[in-house]
Amino acid sequence: MNTDNRVLGRVGARELSEQEVDAVQGAFIVRHTTTLCFIDKKQQLVSGDQSIGECGP
Amino acid sequence: MKLIVLAPEDDNHTAPIKWALEKAGHRVVCWAGLSWTENGQASLIMKEDDTLLLGGHSVDPGDVVWIRRPELPEHNPKVSEADKKFASLEYRSFYHSIAYILETLPVWVINRYSAARVMIQKAVQLRLARQCGLKTPATLMSNHPATVREFFARENSRTICKGFTPHVWQKEGQMSVAITETFELTRDQLPNDEVLTYAPAIYQERVPKEYDVRMVLMGNQIYSYALRNAKQALDWRQDAGLGHVTAELVPTPPDVEKGVLEFARRSGLCFGSLDFGVDAKGQWWYLEINEQGQFLWIDQFNRDARLLEKFCAFVTQPQGSTVPVEARQDLFPSLLEYEELLKNEQVAPVGRPRQEDPFLSLEA
Repeated sequence: MNTDNRVLGRVGARELSEQEVDAVQGAFIVRHTTTLCFIDKKQQLVSGDQSIGECGP
Repeated sequence: MKLIVLAPEDDNHTAPIKWALEKAGHRVVCWAGLSWTENGQASLIMKEDDTLLLGGHSVDPGDVVWIRRPELPEHNPKVSEADKKFASLEYRSFYHSIAYILETLPVWVINRYSAARVMIQKAVQLRLARQCGLKTPATLMSNHPATVREFFARENSRTICKGFTPHVWQKEGQMSVAITETFELTRDQLPNDEVLTYAPAIYQERVPKEYDVRMVLMGNQIYSYALRNAKQALDWRQDAGLGHVTAELVPTPPDVEKGVLEFARRSGLCFGSLDFGVDAKGQWWYLEINEQGQFLWIDQFNRDARLLEKFCAFVTQPQGSTVPVEARQDLFPSLLEYEELLKNEQVAPVGRPRQEDPFLSLEA
């Protein structure tokens, strides 16, 4: 990744390959009120959190 | 009494909880949030007895309202382009009126919107946690380069960096993504000053943690689970998504329990998911609370947790009850049973996002 003009958060972000995304999540859902909701092929309900927030309702 | 869930019916926590409560004979209705569609419409009729209608459901005395994860207010797309901004702001304002007035009605709101709005702020959380006797790491929130550099000049300490909000970058036309995550940053790795102004960030003393704890607060009861992953990653969340963590019930130290319950009392939150880091000395460091954090995944990592049943018992008990939810958790079916039905397509699958996501960016 070219880090020119990128925010620190992007520079330190964790990269997930297409295979990882596919293998782990099956469906990669990011709801407006959450950070990440992983619902994988085993229907795991793992998620980062953060509800509401200023961007939320 | 009925439970009103402010979330789409197919939200990944709403769906199994609604199913479990209904199976036990309780009434559950969902309102996905304020929108122009028939189901999304709402009315607040204010006279002697104020009446709030959410979709086709009235909010009645004795109801429990779980503000889980409603959709963003959505105006009618047919509105004139010239009026869209106004319509959007009006929808947002009306939603706020609904969310705030709920806590003035004779219903139990989980959590009160005013408390949730304040406590979502990481700075407020940290300060209150410290005031309640919880151990918190030294923290700087800043976009001022000189102050950031000064923070990194602390002797014998390591520093992590994290954002105020989560974000995902998806490469255009690809499935690969980059996800914000807590990461360690050294003084030598600090970029030039201008980059530090691109976005404010949270810089925090790195807790020398042996393992993480995810704690679930339900009223005056708390359940703590030690999360361990072989990689000892700074941020366990994505590893949990990869199935690389274990979740083991651990006793909460009495001083931590006391601090958390005081935190709950003072913040006004009755439900939430808290994160702690535990160091080699066994000290629990408060990291954050997500008042509508995900919790059912713990049932998948530890079938004895039974958080689905506990939550069902929690929301169907009288507000402020001190009776342990364990006394009633057997009234409800398990997440495992729900998962079996899901696997056999005997219940509807959880949903996909419907709206554009402000936490998702596309990049080249």
